[in-house]
Amino acid sequence: MYGNEYIAPKDIGEALDVLERHPNAKIIAGGTDLLVQMRHRMIEPELIVDVGRLPFDSILVDHEKVTIGSGVSHAQIGNSDLLQEHFPILVQASQLVGGPSIRNRSTLGGNLMNASPAADTIPPLLAYDAEVVIAGKNGSRTLPLSQFYTGYRQTKLAAGEILEAVQLPLPSASTTAHFIKHGNRRSLYIAVLNVAVRISLSASGAVENSRIALGCVGPTVFLAKAAEAQLQGKLIDEPTILAAAQCAEEESTPISDLRASGDYRSNIVAVLVRRALTEAAGELLGKGH
Amino acid sequence: MMAKQTISLTVNAQSAVVEVEPGKTLLRVLREDMGLTSAKEGCGQGDCGSCVVVMDDESVNSCLVLAAQAQGSQVVTLEGLEQNGQLHPLQEHFAKEWGFQCGYCTSGMLMSCYDLLNHNSQPSREEITEAISGNLCRCTNYRAIIDAVEIAAAELHKSEQD
Amino acid sequence: MSDFTVIGKRTPAKGHRDIITGHAKYTTDFYSADMLVGRLLYTQHPCARVLNIDTSKALEIPGVIAVLTGKDVPGENSYDLYATDQPLMIEVGGCVRYQGDAVAAVAAKDEATAQAALDAIEVEYEQLEGLYDVFAAVEPKAKQVWPERSNTLSHNFSQQGDVEAGFAEADIIIENTYQTQLMEHAYLEPEGAVSMYDENGIMMVYAGCQAPHRDRRQVARSLGVAESQVRVVVPYVGGAFGGKDETHVQIHAALLTQATGKPVRLIRSREESIRAHVKRHPITVKHKLGATKDGKLTAIKVEGYADGGPYANMTSQVMEVFIIHASGPYFVPNSRVDAYAVITNNPAGGAFRGFGMPQAQFASERQMDELARQLNMDPVELRLLNGIQTGQKKATGVTALDASGMRNTMKEAIALSGYDKRHELSREPAPHLRRGWGIASIMQGYLLGPKVVDDAYMGLEMHIDGSVTLRCGVVDYGQGSHTVLAQIAAETLGVSLDDVHVIRPDTDKTLEAGSACAARVTHICGHAVLRTAKPIIDSLMKIAVDLTGANEYELALKNGQLFKDDQLTEYQMTDLVKGARAKRYLLSHTGYFSAEYPEGIFDETVFDNPCAFYTYATKIAQVLVDIETGELTVEKLTLVQDAGRILNPDGARGQSEGGTAMGFGYAVMEEIIVDQGRSKNNSLESYLIPTAKDVPEIITKFLDTQSDYGPYGGRAVSEGPVVPTAPAIANAVRDAVGVSINTIPVTAERLMEALDKKNKGV
Repeated sequence: MYGNEYIAPKDIGEALDVLERHPNAKIIAGGTDLLVQMRHRMIEPELIVDVGRLPFDSILVDHEKVTIGSGVSHAQIGNSDLLQEHFPILVQASQLVGGPSIRNRSTLGGNLMNASPAADTIPPLLAYDAEVVIAGKNGSRTLPLSQFYTGYRQTKLAAGEILEAVQLPLPSASTTAHFIKHGNRRSLYIAVLNVAVRISLSASGAVENSRIALGCVGPTVFLAKAAEAQLQGKLIDEPTILAAAQCAEEESTPISDLRASGDYRSNIVAVLVRRALTEAAGELLGKGH
Repeated sequence: MMAKQTISLTVNAQSAVVEVEPGKTLLRVLREDMGLTSAKEGCGQGDCGSCVVVMDDESVNSCLVLAAQAQGSQVVTLEGLEQNGQLHPLQEHFAKEWGFQCGYCTSGMLMSCYDLLNHNSQPSREEITEAISGNLCRCTNYRAIIDAVEIAAAELHKSEQD
Repeated sequence: MSDFTVIGKRTPAKGHRDIITGHAKYTTDFYSADMLVGRLLYTQHPCARVLNIDTSKALEIPGVIAVLTGKDVPGENSYDLYATDQPLMIEVGGCVRYQGDAVAAVAAKDEATAQAALDAIEVEYEQLEGLYDVFAAVEPKAKQVWPERSNTLSHNFSQQGDVEAGFAEADIIIENTYQTQLMEHAYLEPEGAVSMYDENGIMMVYAGCQAPHRDRRQVARSLGVAESQVRVVVPYVGGAFGGKDETHVQIHAALLTQATGKPVRLIRSREESIRAHVKRHPITVKHKLGATKDGKLTAIKVEGYADGGPYANMTSQVMEVFIIHASGPYFVPNSRVDAYAVITNNPAGGAFRGFGMPQAQFASERQMDELARQLNMDPVELRLLNGIQTGQKKATGVTALDASGMRNTMKEAIALSGYDKRHELSREPAPHLRRGWGIASIMQGYLLGPKVVDDAYMGLEMHIDGSVTLRCGVVDYGQGSHTVLAQIAAETLGVSLDDVHVIRPDTDKTLEAGSACAARVTHICGHAVLRTAKPIIDSLMKIAVDLTGANEYELALKNGQLFKDDQLTEYQMTDLVKGARAKRYLLSHTGYFSAEYPEGIFDETVFDNPCAFYTYATKIAQVLVDIETGELTVEKLTLVQDAGRILNPDGARGQSEGGTAMGFGYAVMEEIIVDQGRSKNNSLESYLIPTAKDVPEIITKFLDTQSDYGPYGGRAVSEGPVVPTAPAIANAVRDAVGVSINTIPVTAERLMEALDKKNKGV
């Protein structure tokens, strides 16, 4: 039982007005994070603004990008053939959030705005060079997801703004990706370590660019730039992969918590990055690269 | 405590109108305001699945849905599965196969399975396992539940074909 | 032996219709318009003196109807189980001794107001240094948790033969220390109670519990009223597994009803439940075993230290069962087992399915595994060599009754699990994976022992229409007890199972049948049903003889029909009942049974309260270890039990499978993490139990046997399945990767650490 005021604006203008007038209001989408935090009295907002009626629930594609509304549920992502075709590890990660009934309600926007370093969808989104579209009183703005998180559970969303959508550029044909969520149980679990990798090859078969996104080993999900640099311009082979994996471990700063110790997380970063890269590389071989 | 709101929704195919604080959970509204106590509160925060009901054709943790969010929705609870004294095949086979012991997870479990069969009439054992992966059961090892769903699905599928 | 009509047949559970339609009422499902919300204020500190409690601000809040503290309890401000040391609410001047101690109780018109009341109660604590380590607690110079008693609540032991001589005789000695963890019941329904005055002014308490008559005594004692003024009714219960054996919030709810005159619902949140209720004891087991080079056990010396929290609860009783099972199902001529129940300021320990057996036999089966390795002996052969035989004395001096199950379950499990064909499966299915196999052979002793009152009343009424009412005072919380007892009644009286109506436990309607614990229900309550049914079936058979002119041995009653020489006669149950009524033959009865043991099997010089009856079981685990991450996948668990005649196949299978799943959780993922007396993972998100995607393939089987002692030849089935799981899995890990994990759960971290040490040659 949550003793708060509640409003469900029907359009974005109304929503932005409400947020302007009530700077301490909290946005609810699927409620699967917010209500848990409220139950533990971590936050006690006087006003809850339900964005569930706003038109943010579509998945759209054009010739260069896919746009996923912030109100799209993880279940919808899981069922999307379009997303499976272009962004398979986003689909995979979405299907590992919570459990089936949680996924029917929890939204992509909610996962991003909860801003946990253990979020499942952020590593794949970073791997796919996602951008966030933010709605505000002065119109929409877009910025790379890789710049969105400034610290532990801190984002660049300003007061009065709402996350509207996520945009993903369509990957090249010679792109593969792999995602590993490692945890203490096989369903209804928060990750101990998340690894998302994407490799795109140039015509010569060398790595044109790659992304290695790590979750649960820093205050935010982040791209392991030094590890990526190990792959840049190279032909993928075992030593290259091992070098990248080793770098990834060195870039990680895990803490100890109830789920795992920092040492354990450190110890498995290189293993899982290596495995993810090996799988992705193997898939490229399978595609004939 | 703020003012109550009028929430209208459909529950088990019947119109329902309740006056509740908008911040009350759907779970509590069903149990306290509508006398539908099948959905249970095992944890209050989406960790156990005991509160699962079907809302607008998808399974949801009713402890994480605010009453106000259910405005205009179609909700099905376990009480709604029996039609004119006829048990749903899921219910029948849960009984025959001992798909429950203490029964506390059973309401949420049955509703997750009901949702599954509404979207997938011939689920594999893996798909059934996936569908109940958000419902904790402490009494069984889930095997009897999966057996019951398999049998019920086959029966439903056959009767649809006939 | 003729086939039975109801016994041993597949039949849905009693109450199934209520459950599958959602109409079954559990404690939280009782609502009324004038019902108040009750809540308890728990201590902020695990170890502190209470200097002051100021409830004045709480009482000023509109809608707060009552705020009670310990001084307001009209009767005794304590629980009353094996001791009266646990207060209901800690009073000013008293000490809170663990995180689950309550200091106040409130009743308010709704949840928010009740919470506001809790927030407004001001408690002044003087934090004290607590004792959070068992070995620190037993140090001679240790600070005492209680001023008036030692931190060693009890020290019990069994001793047989000459342990020193036994070790001297041994060619090999295996000595290790094992550690088990604090385990949470995690039943889906948290504890709660709903109390109200009924129309006769009787205090009625609905509660999911295991011992309603015992709870009634406690409620009356604290309310300061006669027992007859209290009624406890047990609705459907959402799981218990021992966690609802002790009285939990029933007394507090009743106190609030007494103070307000109103119905009160006092339901613990999941977090409150995990904080406050009893758990499985962590036990440190120091196990020393001696054997000849041929593998014959010569001696064991075992010490068990149980961390029981601050109160007596059931710790000494758990340690009795620990003693009974410390040897495992083996013949050991010389043994000494010392069991210490230790007091600390950690979360409280209590009854939990297995009750000391899992901890004791984790150690004993790991030890046997080590012994086999060091002797380079087949682990199966080693166990078969030492398995207790019928007629031999167990380590607690009791003579083993039919012990053939020890060997027969082993032989069956080996074939059923594929263990005998394990060489056909790769040990290294991938570069980072290793496969291994582990065995555990255990015994499950049941009943409360000869020194304890272990009895039950049952009631049966035969109605004119040929149906039967079974008044059943023992609780069914999902383990199927009502179904089995109804089956026994139906078979004995010759009616169909559907014709037996079970009245669920209600101290107004059903006599005391003891707690649903110690796997005693089928045996004790089943025999009570037989005793109750006997005079009734005698009445009916006398009429049957009169009506047919046949001899009694030619007649049989099945599903309400009378058969002569297996041919249907014209007579129905209704005819027999009518006839019996006319002749004033007894048709309703209350029967009583108290545990009976064969003459001369106990040896009190060794140990005074052993189990007489045992279910033997063997479990085989097949596992995969990821050597780079420590991730453990249990591929398959196979369990074979010798549980005598299986009275209900689905029910028994459910106990086997469910107990195995619980044992699996205990083995690999479950642990309440405690830091300075505070549990850290108080939710089902942070305390992990197996989901449908986690449980391994579980194969279970019962041998086709009969017990000479159980009703219809049945033995206990419900606790045993948990017990061999952790040792079988730990033994399989040892087989897969060569590391000994002697502390459970076997988490990925623990496994990685062990692998790292091994790789570094540490």
